[in-house]
Amino acid sequence: MSGERARILAWQLAILVVLLAAWEWLTGIKAVSRTPGLYWIDPFFISRPSAILQRFVYLSSGQVRLTLWQMALSTVQSTLWGFLVGVSTGFVAGLVLGRNDRLARIFEPYIVAFNSLPRIALVPLITMMFGFGLVAKIVLAWTIVFFIVFFNTFQGARGVDADLIHSARFLGAGERQIMRTVIVPSALAWTFASLTPSISFALIGVVVGEFLGGESGGGLGYLIIQSLGTLNAADMMVALVTLGVIGIVMALGIKQLETRLLRWRPEYRKRT
Amino acid sequence: MARPRIVVRDLVKTFREDGREVPAVADVSFEVLDGEFVALVGPSGCGKSTILNMIGGLVAPSAGTVAIDGRPVAGLPRGVGYVFQKDTVFPWRTVARNIAVGLEYHGVAGSERARRVREAVTLAGLDGFEDAFPATLSGGMRQRVALMRTLVVDPEILLMDEPFGALDTHTKINLHGELLRLWEGRRQTVVFVTHDLSEAITLADRVVVMTRRPGRVKLIHRVALPRPRDVIKLRATDEYAREYGEIWHVLGQEFSPAETA
Repeated sequence: MSGERARILAWQLAILVVLLAAWEWLTGIKAVSRTPGLYWIDPFFISRPSAILQRFVYLSSGQVRLTLWQMALSTVQSTLWGFLVGVSTGFVAGLVLGRNDRLARIFEPYIVAFNSLPRIALVPLITMMFGFGLVAKIVLAWTIVFFIVFFNTFQGARGVDADLIHSARFLGAGERQIMRTVIVPSALAWTFASLTPSISFALIGVVVGEFLGGESGGGLGYLIIQSLGTLNAADMMVALVTLGVIGIVMALGIKQLETRLLRWRPEYRKRT
Repeated sequence: MARPRIVVRDLVKTFREDGREVPAVADVSFEVLDGEFVALVGPSGCGKSTILNMIGGLVAPSAGTVAIDGRPVAGLPRGVGYVFQKDTVFPWRTVARNIAVGLEYHGVAGSERARRVREAVTLAGLDGFEDAFPATLSGGMRQRVALMRTLVVDPEILLMDEPFGALDTHTKINLHGELLRLWEGRRQTVVFVTHDLSEAITLADRVVVMTRRPGRVKLIHRVALPRPRDVIKLRATDEYAREYGEIWHVLGQEFSPAETA
């Protein structure tokens, strides 16, 4: 098995190297044209690996006002906050409405309406309300994560097996004990399964918030927009690669957490 | 003479289906004495589970009464354990923590709880599986956990709704032996619902035979087999065959094709 894994890893690395080499090489060829400075594939638009690496080193050094690391940290911080606030509020709301039919029916049109609203349309409003800093980014991430977690928890809380509740009652459970030992764990199983998409969507929310956030909000989204302003493809690529790495690391971390929390489920056991 | 603990009188249950009243249970009366093991047998859909649910306070009767220790049942009665046919073990708790949950509800804590859980684990033959999650266990082991979880809080009355219905014959017979061993130690008052006549005869002191839907009591039969019973050898005895024959003669009419037309 481990031989197979090594082989797959080798292939993945090979593809990466070939792609990077091709990129570097192709963007170095001048077009067979009389016009000077014209490339076959113009590095002005997509930059080149060597230039990106250079800018990466420069942006991470102390020579800039706002280093790459500071921006990455800002993005990660806002994402985690948005995730935490979104998951906790979404869970509580899902639990309450999932166990109360009347409340669920009363709130249904509001929830559906708000959830159908493209969240990006809210960015200017949120910026007006919360300014250009960290808070606005967290709020935007929250508006997305909340609904993902809410709908999952709601389903879970609603679908709690009545016989599990009966059997707890026969074992002597009071209403609060049933909530704590049957309904919350049942619902949590659904909530946990929504954590991985939630972290990815939190990151989307934060980056979109950073597009508008300006320098005080910092973040990699700010670097992307700034690079657009200066037509600097290399800087943009630096931001994108860093964002990609952050996205993968956070998703893998949450996936680990999810697998650990749901280890009692048969479909999660096989993967460990 | 033992006192009656469960008294079922003229019990009627009708359900509404597509706007029509469908009778499920019609005029059922029987008593269960203290420490007695009574089995309720009948064809599927005869309302035997409904009767058990009415005794357990899960379903309200349309007419008639159920009383436990002289008090009419309203809501879940205290001191009653219920074992469902469906798997109701909590999948997110390990074996030990599943067995502990009833003690947790009753406020039994610390070393006392740990001791009782350990005892129960050993009694159920689940040693070494304390930290296993239910998903990794066989159906028989899960039902053992469900049974021990109920018994560990020491209910005086035990209601069992086809608890071994989903298990293969071999596992089932093993669990019959274990159930009887546990029951002989405590002598709970048991109502055991099943459609399996051999299961009823193996376990019970008396068998209440039900008719097809709407369920009525067709016969109440005393099982004249001595205790303690060996669940495997029992099946080879003449007495067992006679008991089986007597009840089947009556119950068989409820299954006969002429009557189900």
